[in-house]
Amino acid sequence: MFWLFVFHLVACTAVMLSGDRLGRWSFAVVAAPMLASAVVALEALVNRRSEDLTAQWVEGLDLTIAARLDSFTSLLLLLVSGIGVLVCAYSTGYFSATTVGVGRFAATLLAFSTAMAGLVVSDTAWTMFIFWELTSITSFLLVGHKRTDCGARTAARRALVITASGGLALLAGFVALLDLSPGARLGTLEPVTGGWATAAAILILVAAATKSAQVPFHVWLPGAMAAPTPVSAYLHSATMVKAGVVLVAVAAPALGDTAIWTPLGVTFGAVSMVWGAIGALRQVDAKLIMAWGTVSQLGLMIALLSLGSPKATFAAISIVVAHAVFKAALFMVVGEIDVRTGTRDIRELRGLRRSMPVAFGVTVLTAASMAGVPPLLGFPAKEAAVEAALGLTGGQRFVVLAVIIGGSILTVAYTARFLIGVFGDGAGAGVGTGDAADTGSICSTEPTPVKAARPMLAAPSVVLAVLSLGGFVGLGWVTGIVRDASVVLDPKAEVYSLFRWPGLTDAFLVSVGIVAAGGALGVFVATRVRNAAPRTLGADASDSGIDQVVVVARIVAARVQHGSLPGYVMTIVATASLAAIPFLWSLDSGDLYAWDHPAQALLAIFVVGAAIAATRVRTRLGAALVLGSIGFAITGLFVTSGAPDLVLTQLLVETVVVVGFVVGLGRLTTTFPFLGGLWFTSRVVVSALAAGAVTVALIASSGRLTIPAPGSSITERLRAEAVDEGGGNNIVNVVLTDVRALDTLGEIIVLLVVALGIVSLTRRQSGDDDSDDDNGSDLENPTDTENQPPDRITGPAGTDSSERDEIDTVGAAQPEAATA
Amino acid sequence: MIARRSPIVQLSVRAATPLALIVAVYAFFAGHNRPGGGFAAGLLLGAVLVLRTVAGLPQPFRPIPTLAAGGVVAGLVAIAPILWGDVVLDQVVVETTVPLLGKVKSGTALIFDAGVTALVVGLVLALLDGFGAEQLSGPAGVDE
Repeated sequence: MFWLFVFHLVACTAVMLSGDRLGRWSFAVVAAPMLASAVVALEALVNRRSEDLTAQWVEGLDLTIAARLDSFTSLLLLLVSGIGVLVCAYSTGYFSATTVGVGRFAATLLAFSTAMAGLVVSDTAWTMFIFWELTSITSFLLVGHKRTDCGARTAARRALVITASGGLALLAGFVALLDLSPGARLGTLEPVTGGWATAAAILILVAAATKSAQVPFHVWLPGAMAAPTPVSAYLHSATMVKAGVVLVAVAAPALGDTAIWTPLGVTFGAVSMVWGAIGALRQVDAKLIMAWGTVSQLGLMIALLSLGSPKATFAAISIVVAHAVFKAALFMVVGEIDVRTGTRDIRELRGLRRSMPVAFGVTVLTAASMAGVPPLLGFPAKEAAVEAALGLTGGQRFVVLAVIIGGSILTVAYTARFLIGVFGDGAGAGVGTGDAADTGSICSTEPTPVKAARPMLAAPSVVLAVLSLGGFVGLGWVTGIVRDASVVLDPKAEVYSLFRWPGLTDAFLVSVGIVAAGGALGVFVATRVRNAAPRTLGADASDSGIDQVVVVARIVAARVQHGSLPGYVMTIVATASLAAIPFLWSLDSGDLYAWDHPAQALLAIFVVGAAIAATRVRTRLGAALVLGSIGFAITGLFVTSGAPDLVLTQLLVETVVVVGFVVGLGRLTTTFPFLGGLWFTSRVVVSALAAGAVTVALIASSGRLTIPAPGSSITERLRAEAVDEGGGNNIVNVVLTDVRALDTLGEIIVLLVVALGIVSLTRRQSGDDDSDDDNGSDLENPTDTENQPPDRITGPAGTDSSERDEIDTVGAAQPEAATA
Repeated sequence: MIARRSPIVQLSVRAATPLALIVAVYAFFAGHNRPGGGFAAGLLLGAVLVLRTVAGLPQPFRPIPTLAAGGVVAGLVAIAPILWGDVVLDQVVVETTVPLLGKVKSGTALIFDAGVTALVVGLVLALLDGFGAEQLSGPAGVDE
């Protein structure tokens, strides 16, 4: 499993470095590791193999990366990787050979897939958290893939801000959870209760709700439809939005006993299921219908999982499987229609069932699966959900059953409307009502013109449609897999099964009622109701909220980051000095003695004298030299203490600094500017404060230290570690590079960050934008991208890019613009 | 100030460069058993680079690639042991006999140290860049 991860990373890096040189072959390269993961997952599923991988990477801190492959995680891994492979195939059809940015897209897609695969198999909270955040970031990059498109950028930012806030909630939730059961693995969490458990439950549910686009956090998902359709088919159907569902499933054993868990989870799920379905009924963009439908379906899964009954868990897992298969296919069909007709607006599409028969067939199968009609996989899954709701008691039964029935009726309705709107003859344009206002071009009865078919664009959705059908035919096998996965979450789930023909049970009758009512409603809405794209109030509100935060941040930053370097230094020093206050009470003058060596007195006098001189010198060069002499005198102090390594390092640092001063001084005036009296006084005060603080700290620390004599235990231990394990005789250096190498690694990372900070700050000021910090400047300053040449737009092949942009803005921020 | 270049300074810095290089290499390898090591070697090289800037001589490296190389090398050495199931930064010690030098003992810590050296050199270069050293070492020189 570990080498699989390495394979992912290597392929990702290779494709990223190749740029556009590989063209569409990039997708073949990125599909390879996904395929490998899918095969491993499938093998583990079939053989019911479980595997654990643990890598402890910092022993002292108990930091462990752990992954587990059991029935549940391998099922999810199979979905993530398997659909990933199909999406790669689909992408080769979606993008044309000449599209710019294909390599970047493919690499980001694989990076996302890796993060998602890592998320589903992770076994410690922190491993999961890291992958969780990685999915947020990679999905941000994928949604904003069209860098020049303003709508896509806004949508990407909205998605990032919402999902990343959820990430913070997850962080807090994990801290609370792990405080109760330290070091626990996700696979074997023990139930916890109490105040902290309640807090953890709320935080984790909120995190799940942001990721899985639950009301009221759902506003990012419709906006994310600005992404190229392969992204929507992958992230927004099968994978990323399922991360919240996975989280709820994983955390339920631990937090399911808290009083808040079930009510809050069911509320999120129920509201989302109904509101998402209503949203889907209102949209006119085929892709947005699918997006809102996803919100609704995810609501059902979250509600079922947070119920905590084994039957509901079993039903939720069945729906996870069924949904991944049918929703990815539906997105692919929408993308194909978009590429071949240039529009996704159901008011403009007509007659496609004759001109695109394959897509029509796929849609009928998968949409029927979505609606829960036999003989497709969605039917037994929906049936299980109804069964689970019927199995509840009291008020819970009433609420959940009402929501599932109501939500399912709406689901059937928007499915029917989607089918009629996309493939029917001019539905939704008011044909039946004879509305005179609709007799414009929009209402012509001519079929929408269609471009030539592309096999790679259709094949993956056909595969998924066949899987929807095959899942029903081979239901026994699917039941086995789903049951194994559910048993991991809840051992009591092993008694349940999915049925092809359940008989005339209550659940079946309810299903029949749902399909009948929903179908009628859908046909009515599709043919009788005049459609207008709804306003995106929630999305607008969240965008303006983000803008307001940015404005406030600018104001605060302008105050705090005033740009005066002496001001910064004074603030930092004064604040740091306060840290000495607690040590005032631990001073013990009895520990003090004059010196180890008389030469130290001389050196100390020299240092003090030079320090005073440094404040009196008028020229900058003089000050630099005086400072340098202080440094060399301190080197002398190290010599008297017998620390040759410190001496060498200090000597070199001082040399570089003094010569460096000379370089820097070339750009400044030769003397210090005149300073006002107040400023001078405040500097003296702060310096005295700092000196006092350092003295206090040093005395306090020396009072506690028992200086080890040579040959005592600590020296011996370090020597033993250095010579035997590190293989060197210089204990200091071996400690640096081997015994405490992690500290050194941390320090050099600080060096790296400082150096990069210097480079980016000075380059920005001098306006020197050469190619190697191109990406950095894009991130810092998004307006830069507007100046990029228009050939960076990466629309689907064969579509005129302006048309493409227009329909994408329909999906993103300004649907009203398209209706005008 | 630095713009009025002295040929004596230029020549001595030019002559000092290979010497400092040798000392840096010595310090790098000596670090295992005596004072020295990757950080010291990096500072020695850094000092030479600063002197070259003062003398108006061209720099052999650019900061970003040097920093990147150092970070990647140190990071890879840190992560590599995980591949073989050890903990992060676990080091492998190799002992061989080399002609002229006799018995040589070394470990992967040496590669890690090389990364440190490159990072320190990169930091010094970045600082020089930040000070606007490019203008200072330009052909004409600007007298401020």
